Amino acid sequence: MKKILPLLALGLLAGCTTILETGDRIERGLTPPDAVNYATTKPEGGFSTQLNDNRIGNKIELLAARKSKTDGGYSRVQFDLRNGAYLSQTINVSFEWLAADGSVTESQPNWIVTPLEPGALTTITATALKAQSAECRLRLISR
Amino acid sequence: MNKLSLLACAVLIVGCGTPATYKDPNGRELVVSLDKVNIQDFATAGSQMLQSMVSSPSFSKGAPVLQLGSITNDTADNFDTSLLLSKITVPLVNAGRVTLLDNDATANAARAASGSKADVPHAEYVLKGKILEDRSNAGSTRQSSFVFQLTLVEVKRGVAVWQEEKLVTKQGTKNAVGF
Repeated sequence: MKKILPLLALGLLAGCTTILETGDRIERGLTPPDAVNYATTKPEGGFSTQLNDNRIGNKIELLAARKSKTDGGYSRVQFDLRNGAYLSQTINVSFEWLAADGSVTESQPNWIVTPLEPGALTTITATALKAQSAECRLRLISR
Repeated sequence: MNKLSLLACAVLIVGCGTPATYKDPNGRELVVSLDKVNIQDFATAGSQMLQSMVSSPSFSKGAPVLQLGSITNDTADNFDTSLLLSKITVPLVNAGRVTLLDNDATANAARAASGSKADVPHAEYVLKGKILEDRSNAGSTRQSSFVFQLTLVEVKRGVAVWQEEKLVTKQGTKNAVGF
């Protein structure tokens, strides 16, 4: 009995810890969480980026941002993303819409998980619901 | 010694739990379950279907009158299907893109009693759908796919003018936290 109880305690203690099973888990344990990055369309065309996590530059390429109008006159933006790495990546995106004065008019806050094979392209399409929505701000996190 | 060991065990058992904390419902630290549709799955499918729906010609101009039809839950999980529909109707109504008919018995009776009065809106479109699931496994790895299907029916002609299907697939050996 005396031997069993300490052993039981040890077992419970082991169960409390996080076991790093794979390389990915070890990486998660050692590196800070991925920061959110932004790409915002500009009124004159094209887009600007705000990279808060330089690691994303080695993984995902933002190739283009195309702005257009729907038949009803609402803004629509398409962002082309490419996995430029040799490994599969998962990119998570969400977006919000801005009025001409920069105020936020609407948002889609939940993350859309998009797995991408090496070299794969994907197009994220965002259509505004409000007429005053002019520019689209894409939010990106890798993994 | 025996008492000490028992005390140590009790302390360890109590210390094992993770205290509950508040999380961002749109954040990256939500529980991902293999055997059920998570709240973020409704949000993902709903927002993607909303984007598809507003791109359809039926929503190109004005605010069409929409009535919600039935959403069949054909999964083993018990949930309220308004978790999906609200992700579509809330942004549309708040942006003034649809006129949403109230669906309770009183509202339906009032509309029926009003006949064809011009000031009482009648449904131009009905949104209906189905949620299905598919499960499979390979060894200890389990995979769950949830299929969200929506159809927009034009009442006047009785034809489907928009359809969309979104899949959410999750794979793993156990539930986890995060993407």
